[in-house]
Amino acid sequence: MGMTPRMVGVGMAIIASATAWSVLFLPGLTAPIRPSAIARRLTPLEARGRILYIRNGCIGCHTQYVRPSDWGLSALRVSQPGDYVYDQPHLLGSERTGPDLSQEGGQHTNDWHWAHFRDPRLTRPASIMPRFRFLSRPRMRALIAYVQSLGGKMADARMARQNDWHRRLLAAWRRGEDANADFLYRRVPAPWRVLPNPYPATQAALARGRFVYEQECINCHGPLGDGNGPAARYLLPRPFNFTLLKRHPWSGGLLYYQIMNGITGSAMPYFKQDLESAKIWDVSNYIAVEFIGKNIDSGETGSGIPAAREPAPPPRP
Amino acid sequence: MPRFRFIDASPGSTARRFILSGAGWFLAATLIGLLAAVELVAPDLVQSRYFLFPRIRPSHVNTNVFGFLSMMLIGAMLWAVSRLAQAPLWSEKLGNCTLWLWNAAVFAGMVSLPMGYTQSHEYGEYVWPIDVLIVAALALLALNIFKTLERRRERLLYVTNWYAIGAVVATLAVYFLGNVMWHPLTGALHGMNDAEWAWFYGHNIFGVWITPLALGLCYFWLPREADQPLYSHTLSLLGFWPYFAFYMQVGAHHLLEAPAPGWLKLIAEINSVGLLIPVYAFLANQWLTLRGRWWKIPGSVTLKFIFAGTVMYFFVSTQGALMALPSEQRLLHFTNWTVGHAHLGLLGFAGFIACGAGYGVLREMYGEFWSSRLAHLQYWFMLIGIAGFTFVLSYAGLVQGSAWRNGETVYRVLPELVVPYLARAILGTFIISGAAIQFYNFLRTIYGRAPVRMPWLAPEAGSLDAVAGG
Ligand code: HEC
Ligand code: HEC
Ligand code: HEM
Repeated sequence: MGMTPRMVGVGMAIIASATAWSVLFLPGLTAPIRPSAIARRLTPLEARGRILYIRNGCIGCHTQYVRPSDWGLSALRVSQPGDYVYDQPHLLGSERTGPDLSQEGGQHTNDWHWAHFRDPRLTRPASIMPRFRFLSRPRMRALIAYVQSLGGKMADARMARQNDWHRRLLAAWRRGEDANADFLYRRVPAPWRVLPNPYPATQAALARGRFVYEQECINCHGPLGDGNGPAARYLLPRPFNFTLLKRHPWSGGLLYYQIMNGITGSAMPYFKQDLESAKIWDVSNYIAVEFIGKNIDSGETGSGIPAAREPAPPPRP
Repeated sequence: MPRFRFIDASPGSTARRFILSGAGWFLAATLIGLLAAVELVAPDLVQSRYFLFPRIRPSHVNTNVFGFLSMMLIGAMLWAVSRLAQAPLWSEKLGNCTLWLWNAAVFAGMVSLPMGYTQSHEYGEYVWPIDVLIVAALALLALNIFKTLERRRERLLYVTNWYAIGAVVATLAVYFLGNVMWHPLTGALHGMNDAEWAWFYGHNIFGVWITPLALGLCYFWLPREADQPLYSHTLSLLGFWPYFAFYMQVGAHHLLEAPAPGWLKLIAEINSVGLLIPVYAFLANQWLTLRGRWWKIPGSVTLKFIFAGTVMYFFVSTQGALMALPSEQRLLHFTNWTVGHAHLGLLGFAGFIACGAGYGVLREMYGEFWSSRLAHLQYWFMLIGIAGFTFVLSYAGLVQGSAWRNGETVYRVLPELVVPYLARAILGTFIISGAAIQFYNFLRTIYGRAPVRMPWLAPEAGSLDAVAGG
């Protein structure tokens, strides 16, 4: 068979139009998509933030859809076509160098995001996300507003809860740090306040706890546990000063509860997805021994760090 | 050295300049890529917003696709088309205009993307004015190719020409539709529909543009270098029409895990696997052409590059067909595995063929290139680079995929990726060395050697160029 340029050109045009019909136009025609239960339009501020999200290439590292097989941050709900009706262009993304953001709204408070965008290593010491500190204040506000809208009406519900608690926490914070510690104590359900740490504070456990602390907590709560990490100046209420607990009631269970669930309304994130239960107990032990200076759960009272690290006395006959 | 002319009407100048530009963009784009790779290990390295990872990543990708690959492949393709037609290019002047349009587009894209001017669709990031430049250049290119073919002295239309025509015609349509060019401000539709269109484009910019050009050049160079006629013309038909018919339908295999319609995903999956038919037909044809001539491979830079390109085509396509299966996607979607696949396809397959063809053209134009030792050295640098890349990125993908499937959060897996990310940056320097060697070698050849005369290139009396000649 002898091919001619015209034949190839025409053949190609036929294939291209048939394909365009079947995979481009047909999906739009056969399945008109209605807004899903959680979809909503962006406010003008959020829409400006979305443009910043596009222009700064966040899509290169973040996806915005959740699969049935996913775990983690956004896996609260599997994405549906109707979630995206208002998106132009789509921001689905194809690579997860960072976590999926489809349900990011309301996962953190605004001050957490502020610190995180200034320098992601402030809130997440091992992060490889770039710093976006060149964004001016109004732009930062717009970007955060957009990120807080991700998840549509589900995000709105979470944000309402964050804002409500934020007001109450701020009020407690203004009454002084002891009143604040008291307020946090009373927020924790009673059974947790008396629950001892089931794991002994062995040297190995403390080493693991320290590893977790350095990977997750150190830049907020500080290397000394006094709440003066480098992120602190962006956050209100400020990160908790663990040494305060020397003069307040506390327990391993209380620490566990706070770490697992975070403190809604403050920058304190929840760690139930990043840390398995044993790791949370280990970091609780580390805080107790290293910063509060005693380990009430194992009945020991130490005077500071070295004493607490001593091996438990041999069992009495 | 002759005086530099912006519009050079001498025979072969369009092909030569396209190839040289491509080699230059290769070096620029890989340098940007190295910075991006380093930033994944050292995120605080640069302060300037214009050099942040997320802003230079699209610059790296688009400069490689539209600068390096497109330009080297176009240059080599124009040479092949005119060689096969036994006639000079219809208009070198028009060809030169196309060249400057194209260079302007690539340069504008390389600079504007880091400045934040982007439409955010992968591979379609260029903003509307750049899209217009590219479409205009494509149209001029199509005109030049059709007109040259009209004047061909050899009546039989060889396979390479089919691919040249197929690529420009299909790409004109795909580029216009896929970039939603009737929406200049956003270049986008709404919601999932937008994603479907964007991936139709994102897939076909490789499927009907880069790959066909590279395949056509294989058909041109491999039999010539092996000094043996093409094995079968029936196989080349089988490799051609089904290729385009299958390929254009598979865009949705990038959305297999997204909430796209099930039937669309099914079409994409079936066609992705079906695609192996034309791919293997092509490969069988090429490799059988080499029968009895394998010993020729080590001696010829062109054949070396092109043969390695076909081998990597085998791997990337077979891998791709497996990647289009849902069970694989569940584990490896969103991971660096895909990045490895993309590099294997674009650099390993299309890039190797572009380099091989570029060297081939220069050798025909200048008798020999400046240093063939350097060219062989470049081959090994690039081969080590791409093989290492594929291994390291696939490894990173498996780590990510299996950790995520086990419920690890993305943040907690980051420390596991430091080693592969570092290895990737180091391997990148091999590829950059290859690009630098190539650019230097091309420059020395073009500006250091006298072109040989080729009778078939002499402009015919009465053609556009005969008057201006130069
Ligand atoms: C180099 C890739 C990269 C880029 C680019 C990037 N991020 Fe990230 N992002 C990450 C990584 C990794 C994490 C996880 C660690 C962390 O929280 O910093 C993350 C985390 C986040 C989180 C916190 C998620 C959570 O709740 O734990 C948000 C919000 C976020 N990124 C938003 C953005 C925005 C907005 C942009 C663009 C302005 C952006 N990112 C650009 C890599 C990136
Ligand atoms: C982004 C900063 C930030 C990070 C990271 C962070 N915290 Fe906090 N944390 C806070 C803030 C702020 C508070 C206090 C909220 C308040 O006072 O209302 C707090 C409070 C706490 C409390 C409550 C103390 C009490 O008595 O109720 C505990 C326990 C705690 N953090 C432990 C941790 C641990 C363990 C980690 C690491 C796994 C961690 N935090 C990481 C900011 C942070
Ligand atoms: C039979 C042939 C091929 C098939 C079936 C195939 C299939 C796929 C699939 C399924 C993906 C998506 C992976 C994911 O998102 O998880 C993908 C990505 C990709 N492929 Fe291929 N592939 C093939 C050949 C090629 C070739 C030859 C090239 C290059 C010329 C190429 C370039 C790419 C690129 C650049 C991506 C990355 C897209 C992104 O950014 O997400 N592929 N391919």
